[in-house]
Amino acid sequence: MKKSVLDYALKVRLPLTLFVTIMAFVLTFYVSRTERDGIGYAPDQPIAFSHKLHAGDMEIDCQYCHVGVEKGRHALVPSVNTCMNCHTVARKDKPEIIKLTKYYEEGQPVPWKRIHRVPEYAYFNHSVHVNKGIECESCHGDIAKMEKVEQVKGWTMTACLDCHRDPHAEMPDLVEVNNGPENCFACHR
Amino acid sequence: MADSKNKSGIWKSLKEYYQDPVVLKNKTNEFMDGVTDDFDPDELSKVSRRKFLALMTASAAFTATACTDYHDKGEVIAYNDRPEGVIPGKPNYYASTCDGCAVGCGVLVKTREGRPIKLDGNPDHPVNKGKLCTKGQAGILELYDPDRLTDPLRDRRKVSWNDVDAYMVEAFAKYASEGKEIAFVTGENNSPAFGDVIAEFAKKYPTVKVYNHAAFSEKNRRSAWKKVYGSGKYPAIKWADADVIVSLDADLLGNEGDMLEFTREFAKRRDAVNGADFNRFYVVEGGMTLTGANADYRIRVNPQYHFELALLVLNQVAMNLGVTLPSNLAYRKSVTDFELAHNIKSDKVARLITDLLKNRGKSIFYVGRDKSEDLHMVANYLNEILGNSALYNFKCAHTDYSTEDISVLVSNINRGAVGAVLHVDVNPVYNYSGNTGYEEALAKVPTKVSFTLNRNETSEKCNFVLPVHHYLEAWGDIHSRENIYTLRQPVINPIFNTRQSEAAILQWADNSTGYNQDKFHKFLQNSFKKNVYAKAGTTLNFKKYWFNALHDGIVMLPANETVASINVEALGSVKTPKTNEGFTLQVRESYFVGDGKFANNGWLQETPHPVSKVTWDNYAAIAPATAAALGVENNDLIDVSADGNSISLPVMIQPGTAENTILTEAGYGRTIVGEVGLDVGFDVYKFGSEKLYSNVDVKKGSGTYDLVSTQEHHSLDDESVKDFHRIRGIIQDGTVEEYKKDPKFLKHHEHDIFSITDSVEYKGVKWAMAIDLNKCTSCSACVTSCNVENNIPVVGKDQVSRGREMSWMRIDRYYSGSPEEPVVSNQPMLCQHCDNAPCENVCPVNATNHSPDGLNQMAYNRCVGTRYCANNCPYKVRRFNFYNFRDHFADAYYQNDLTYLASNPEVTVRSRGVMEKCTFCIQKIMDAREVAIRENRDLKGDDVVTACQQACPSEAIVFGDSNDPESTVSKYREHDLGYHVLDLLNVRPNVTYIAKLRNTHSEDA
Repeated sequence: MKKSVLDYALKVRLPLTLFVTIMAFVLTFYVSRTERDGIGYAPDQPIAFSHKLHAGDMEIDCQYCHVGVEKGRHALVPSVNTCMNCHTVARKDKPEIIKLTKYYEEGQPVPWKRIHRVPEYAYFNHSVHVNKGIECESCHGDIAKMEKVEQVKGWTMTACLDCHRDPHAEMPDLVEVNNGPENCFACHR
Repeated sequence: MADSKNKSGIWKSLKEYYQDPVVLKNKTNEFMDGVTDDFDPDELSKVSRRKFLALMTASAAFTATACTDYHDKGEVIAYNDRPEGVIPGKPNYYASTCDGCAVGCGVLVKTREGRPIKLDGNPDHPVNKGKLCTKGQAGILELYDPDRLTDPLRDRRKVSWNDVDAYMVEAFAKYASEGKEIAFVTGENNSPAFGDVIAEFAKKYPTVKVYNHAAFSEKNRRSAWKKVYGSGKYPAIKWADADVIVSLDADLLGNEGDMLEFTREFAKRRDAVNGADFNRFYVVEGGMTLTGANADYRIRVNPQYHFELALLVLNQVAMNLGVTLPSNLAYRKSVTDFELAHNIKSDKVARLITDLLKNRGKSIFYVGRDKSEDLHMVANYLNEILGNSALYNFKCAHTDYSTEDISVLVSNINRGAVGAVLHVDVNPVYNYSGNTGYEEALAKVPTKVSFTLNRNETSEKCNFVLPVHHYLEAWGDIHSRENIYTLRQPVINPIFNTRQSEAAILQWADNSTGYNQDKFHKFLQNSFKKNVYAKAGTTLNFKKYWFNALHDGIVMLPANETVASINVEALGSVKTPKTNEGFTLQVRESYFVGDGKFANNGWLQETPHPVSKVTWDNYAAIAPATAAALGVENNDLIDVSADGNSISLPVMIQPGTAENTILTEAGYGRTIVGEVGLDVGFDVYKFGSEKLYSNVDVKKGSGTYDLVSTQEHHSLDDESVKDFHRIRGIIQDGTVEEYKKDPKFLKHHEHDIFSITDSVEYKGVKWAMAIDLNKCTSCSACVTSCNVENNIPVVGKDQVSRGREMSWMRIDRYYSGSPEEPVVSNQPMLCQHCDNAPCENVCPVNATNHSPDGLNQMAYNRCVGTRYCANNCPYKVRRFNFYNFRDHFADAYYQNDLTYLASNPEVTVRSRGVMEKCTFCIQKIMDAREVAIRENRDLKGDDVVTACQQACPSEAIVFGDSNDPESTVSKYREHDLGYHVLDLLNVRPNVTYIAKLRNTHSEDA
């Protein structure tokens, strides 16, 4: 049988190309998985605020600044005046605090980089979780040890549902908690 | 060959064993000879293997590097200084006062992060008690209307407010010194602070004068009261105490008077579930209105003869009670003659008279606001004879702020006595046209000013167009009833370079340098101190009292119950109007676009007319027999001439219209307005300022005009579809008599429905709704409330004609009976959240499915738009986004930075290609759940109030937990009158309807 170019293309070139493409895709998919889920995302913030110092060493309660967490959907990033409650006096000569004071005096909000983001079609509610006794760490990781905050857990629907389906596996310390709702309207409306 | 044997003793073949020289030679070669034969390397790609691999590696590395770069997730912008009480994500509510009409209902403005997103009634306001009509609800869109004027204009050029101030001060000083009038034209303005502003203005410019113009107002009722009782402060009526209500052409449930108050009080006496003693409602009218559709007895009379009917009733009543009437009120025809002459069946007029006589002191004969002063006086006298004044509530009487009528202004201008005309939120060039001569007169005035939100016909004729605040940006007050004083406060900073009219006038009055936004705020406080605080007799200091008043939005004033006594002599001036044989033309105010004020509001334009279901148009409604006589059909144009003005109008054959009568609605046909309202419908103000024309000339015109309605006009004559809604049990109804005799009269032909599958068990809360059709009047407040709450887009007339309107809630209207005297049944229809929902089975991607609390849920992100669900829905309540309607309607009119601010952030804005439908206000359910979790208790059914339920003026809608036997909704579900629409399909709907009972006499049953 006379061998043709087509023969070569089908038997050698195509499988090879497919193989390389699929391998590249699979590899990239798995290698980039964490990044795509945002895990490890730790952008530089306009002010190098340290959660380790405030929440860890000084043990300030999360809710001193994140005031909305028990009251509504958003935990709320504190407004500048909350920072100034202390920093009008404390450490006001430090460069980062000078930056902060400048924002405050100019009446400008601090453009904090968003680290944790739920897609806009999902209506996550902080208060229903926190008021059920779920710790901040369950989703946000141990913020109190982070100099610079980074995302430590996946922010996918699978991640939500894993916990909703079996909260005790995810949070062994929390005894009195029911399974979370799994229906669409629980998050999407 | 023996010696040539393989020495190694290992061989692969006999040939090798025998040491075949070819085999031996081949053994030294890697490949066989000819393996590359027939293969030309030149034909291959020039990319070498190495190069190919290098490229692949490079691209893989490139992809990998690209992936390590995280998506930027944007920024979180927190407040710099968060205002106390504002928690982002949580709504704040502020009390204010609606400015949709003269009623001045109290509103609660829901704001999110400083922007108003929803208006609801203020529960503390005694007139509207937490409810708000369609127009009031849709007002939110006016604030975010992209056509709002942004800067002051002088001769259509942008100028600064300072230039305007300088000009006005100079001009007014000149007119004042010349003794020329400075005329303000206002609507029905009952703001005490505005009065004070004018008084302040008058100190500097004494020639100021205020005129009053409203295309539709209670001025005839007021003047009739003034004549008969000596005061224009006509009382409120204790409607709930009336056993018999006769409405003479008053659209009480529609858009007349205090519609919300009447609807609530009327519905109290229609509450079958709670065992109310039904009132009886007679409606006399020519055209079919929403009120007529809800009547127990509707008496169809050409509006020309309404005066005669009132006289007939008066004479019969007076004869029975032995009262001698003034001679000018005598009427000789008998009841039978009148009934015969007007083709009134089943002796309805006689029944009306008997009922009035039987219920003396407990009935009301109420005349429509557009009727003549004389007719109002006759009605007052009739009520007085019947002792019905016992139902008057003078404590809550309407305030009388009426000033000189605009017609006086026209003659003053023509005398050359007017220097300046300032229009405050009125549009007389449009709605005071026809033969009034206003436009021509206005042209003679040197300084013409229009305070307005949007461009309009009047502002076009003015040399100064001054943009004003929307009422949600403004301060203000309203004294609508003797005992009710309400405040208005800004809930958002002014979006544009606008001023509120009061502040601008004050600025001209004190001519101070530098205007500031707080100007009228301070003035209002002083005015409040003088008008309210000083009279309140309170021990609170002013600041506290003021903030309390602002918080509540309302102050109840002390008012005395001064009962007025009638002056019968005043009736001597009453004259019976002449009647003519020809056509009668009646002009009513549009239900939703008002007198034309709301023409640029898409939500209101698209709300279907409560009776005809026509959207985006007005038309000439005529009786089927009249249409046949004229030889016209639906959509044919007819030429209507009245008072020398001729207009072409499309025909809409409306069952129930009196013969030779045309009913049309004003408020359409705007020529200078924003994109939405432009050239929508026909301008019937061109006939003139009257509301009733007799001897009208009607001819068949040429051509047709497409009217678009959301519901097919059911053919009453077609036997195959006639009364289908009754045969299929969609509408189930009866009479009060039937119900009293046998409360289970509807249940006798119920079938056992059998299912081959097990039913799902719902633990915990299971959501359900009930709608009481006895109370529902089809006012459509629920429709608009739903539109606002759930971000429902406007689609435009063209899309409505294709059946693509998006409202989740609609009100179905069915006719039965004869075309002359149809029985109208209304039914709000929304997703029934069926337990066995047929839509769910057919969804190929499981985008719609059932939640454990009984909701038929819809996941937009899953939906691929097959529309199978809509096909399979027996209630036809699913809506498909054929376009991204925000960018499709009117060149993306509503897709701009401004209008998006009106969206509810708790509800997804749906895009093209997905299906949507009523969610039972899932966002409100989730809010209630959030509160329950915070308070560590179980979620209860009564914690949730859906948007439609919140808006319903008659409280016909009940929502809650059907698993809770104590809940209101369970009571409705189990009630003898409760039924499910199309329950034979065994879809197990979760919306229960309470069958309508009509309070007719037993012999009519």
